[in-house]
Amino acid sequence: MKFNNIRSKLADDLELPNNAASDNFDLRMHGNKKVIIENHTGIFIYENDVVGINTKDQSILIKGKNFKIEEINDYKVIVKGAVNEILINKKE
Amino acid sequence: MLIFRILNFLRGYVVIKILGSNYEKTLNLLSRRNISIWDVEKKDDYLSFKLAYDDYRKNTELFEENKMQLTKKTGIAFKLHKIKSRKGFLLGAFILIVCLYVYSTLIWSIELVGGNEKIKKEIKETLSSNEIKLPTNENYINEKHIETILYKNFKNFNFVEAYIEGSKLIIFIKEKNPFPEQIIDKSPTSIISTKNAVINKVIAKSGQPVIQEGDVVYEGQTLVMGIIKNKNLEEYTMVPSIGKVYGKTYYSFQFKEEKQRDIAMSTNKKENLYYLKINDKKLKIIGDTNRFKNYNCKVNAINIPIISNFTDISLEKNIYYEEKYEKVKIDENTAQNKMKINVFDDLKSMCSPDSRVITSSLNFTEDEKYYYLNAQIEVIEDIGKEIKIYPSALPKIEDIKEE
Repeated sequence: MKFNNIRSKLADDLELPNNAASDNFDLRMHGNKKVIIENHTGIFIYENDVVGINTKDQSILIKGKNFKIEEINDYKVIVKGAVNEILINKKE
Repeated sequence: MLIFRILNFLRGYVVIKILGSNYEKTLNLLSRRNISIWDVEKKDDYLSFKLAYDDYRKNTELFEENKMQLTKKTGIAFKLHKIKSRKGFLLGAFILIVCLYVYSTLIWSIELVGGNEKIKKEIKETLSSNEIKLPTNENYINEKHIETILYKNFKNFNFVEAYIEGSKLIIFIKEKNPFPEQIIDKSPTSIISTKNAVINKVIAKSGQPVIQEGDVVYEGQTLVMGIIKNKNLEEYTMVPSIGKVYGKTYYSFQFKEEKQRDIAMSTNKKENLYYLKINDKKLKIIGDTNRFKNYNCKVNAINIPIISNFTDISLEKNIYYEEKYEKVKIDENTAQNKMKINVFDDLKSMCSPDSRVITSSLNFTEDEKYYYLNAQIEVIEDIGKEIKIYPSALPKIEDIKEE
């Protein structure tokens, strides 16, 4: 955890992409239609109205409706649908 | 994303269906194995997704172990796999592609922009005489060389540009102004008569007329003189003579026309002859040349597809129509009309364009063999012609001294 913070700070100082240098996830949204998450570690729930995605230190819960996973590989996941809410919880 | 979908379609992809529950575990398993999947959709009792056929092939055992069903195979790669057994079709497709490639690299036509039809024809002839024949590969065409040829052969071209666009050779030409500015010649001239005539009217804008209406003039006689006397001085000045002198002229014609004439009549018999034409040599293939004594021949060129485009080999069809000469009697009215036309055609060639016929006397006679026409025509026409006046050279001082 501490080491990850150091890497993140160093990446910021050197103006490097944070998600490439550290284990932090990168979350981008296109309106409320699409969510792109990079640096994930897997999916823990997938339903039509909720998608849960694990990252190294947090878990992300996306709530909405008509969810489809447009693309998923070991690095990136793209969730498409009407997004209402995104919750980020720290892992215990 | 569209390019991603097109690439996947070209490479081929499969649609997989997972029944049961705990889909998340399967999705994580696939992503951990570095298998990219897309269009993941959850239905009531199953989950479906797509993945590349290559990934499926490499991990077949994994899919079987986890009870994943392959439901559909899509993409060009699968279609090509089916076509593999159709060797004739593949060969035909290959030939088609090769032909398309070869034909698309050829220049098929020349488009000329600017100039009239005559110039265009001449340009095409010049290019073909310089061994620029169509169709030809675009690599063998040098635009600068074509421009040089055209500049050399056509001195009246102001601008020439040649360029290739698709399968066309476009030549843009601009001719020099065909009507150059008229240079007014102010050298002194006189007007003389070109024919024997009786003067009808004299219009002199410049110069001194030396004849009057009603005078009889002969060929070469001066009508308007280019030397005029200054009003208050005793000096003479030479000026260019400008004006028109109309005179009555008289023409006499004699024509004769046969009463009977041999006319070729078709007998409705014909013979087809085929020749193989190689370069400028002709080789007879089918038909007889000596069948008819008198004939009329019509020639048709037949191009052999593809072969004629690349070589000078073509076919030629000659149709020989048999003809028979028969004596036909020419009636008097037809003969008279023909002779009248001949009279006025000849008159037109002898007179100036603004001539006017005053009186015409046509006398028709005939004997056993011919019809005759004696015609006397009186015309008013411009009989003047400008000639330059050259002042006589002054004797040199050295010559005078010697004398």
